[in-house]
Amino acid sequence: MEVDREDGRSQNQLRPLACSRNNLHRAHGSASWSQGDTKVLAAVYGPKAGTKKNENPEKACIEVIWKPKTGQIGKLEKEYEMILKRTLQSICILTVNPNTTTSVIIQVANDDGALLPSAINAACMALVDAGIPTRHLAVSICCCVARSGLVVLDPTKLEEQKMKAFAYLVFPNSVHSVLPEGSPSGQGEPIQNGIITSVTHGIMSVDDYFYCLERGRAASTKLSDFLRKNLQQQSTDSSKAG
Amino acid sequence: MENKKSSSPASFIDSTVVPGDVVLDLSSMTNQTIKLGGGLRQDCDAIPAMKAGTLRFSKPNKYWVESSQKRYVPCVEDTVLAIVVDSKADNFLIDIKGPALAFLPVLAFEGGTRRNIPKFEVGTLLYLRVVKANFGMNPELSCTDANGKAAEFGPLKDGYMFETSTGLSRKLLSSPTCPVLEALGKKLSFEIAVGLNGRVWVNAASPDTIVVVANAIMNSESLSTAQQIIMVEHLLKNIQ
Repeated sequence: MEVDREDGRSQNQLRPLACSRNNLHRAHGSASWSQGDTKVLAAVYGPKAGTKKNENPEKACIEVIWKPKTGQIGKLEKEYEMILKRTLQSICILTVNPNTTTSVIIQVANDDGALLPSAINAACMALVDAGIPTRHLAVSICCCVARSGLVVLDPTKLEEQKMKAFAYLVFPNSVHSVLPEGSPSGQGEPIQNGIITSVTHGIMSVDDYFYCLERGRAASTKLSDFLRKNLQQQSTDSSKAG
Repeated sequence: MENKKSSSPASFIDSTVVPGDVVLDLSSMTNQTIKLGGGLRQDCDAIPAMKAGTLRFSKPNKYWVESSQKRYVPCVEDTVLAIVVDSKADNFLIDIKGPALAFLPVLAFEGGTRRNIPKFEVGTLLYLRVVKANFGMNPELSCTDANGKAAEFGPLKDGYMFETSTGLSRKLLSSPTCPVLEALGKKLSFEIAVGLNGRVWVNAASPDTIVVVANAIMNSESLSTAQQIIMVEHLLKNIQ
């Protein structure tokens, strides 16, 4: 079943991705991520000494502040902050710097659909730029289910509003490993088959959800490759000097 | 896509690794005693990377991920440029751009006794050596070298301090001399102190020289050797 998307993309096609790191002079790590017209800027400060009142001092604490493009901070922003905090807590290795706080500030520059996934991608790249130790990267994608039952990836804002349901999915990145494939690594399945976060809106059937997961996981490998290329480019740029 | 790499660790050395990449497999290595530097951690028999950077190897058995950050991870025997934040009865509280404040014991000076404790104001810039950097504890610093002599450690007077990334600090301290410092040294005379925590202090007779040296160093981060020399020539032309 073919679907006519306004910008001519196919079902599984992502919008053009752009990512740049180390944009902000004062922040310890920063990244700007854009998917089509959606643009998000993430800044990371830390690790700084001391944790907040109710946090466990034996682990590092991650604090997220979400700044919308316009308007006051309300419940939606607080929800995004909570989702982002729990996602980042699961990818960061919290025991490396106990009793410290790392602040992640997300500034929405433009919202054209798939805002939370873009923010998660930007935050992850900013953490890498700041040198915060992480277990692996988080790669995030938005899948939506149209009224016709078709599953579409990376919607624009107009598409999102017309959809029956959508899901924000966050997967670990695909890793290069010296371990031979299929070796028992202690856990049951290799980490690539895991999922970090899933946020759904609207009504969709269980089969649709699993189909979204499958499409999302396939797209996450493309995003992983993009991240890897981006990190390689910037490291070869700086290694040319001296 | 997962690439099937042969299980020789040489395949990742000097290439970029991303957090999560398993760079070593202990079960397939004969010499099982290896030293892991920054950016690597142990997960049973696999060694995944924690930071993005270039994997480096030094014989016989040292592996680490080389990356450049704005914050500093304290290591023993590093020389750092630190700023006094507060002073307590037994220690000075010092900021070294790390995850925790560091302590400088009040007696860690050459010939230091309870009677001649130096008085550092808040904001004093000091050139110090890291003595202890244990997990979960505040790092400890000292104003003497390992033998107890002053050896140029201590407060830095006058001059100008600016912040850089840790990668640039390491380049400035590498031997042979960094090209930008060599090119500047041929025409100008200045004094410089580089802290491995990403701070650099410059002092010279005239403010013009200080500004030129600081700008040259800050610009040189992403330039190659030839580009650095050309950049320095441009800057020097403007002041002459």
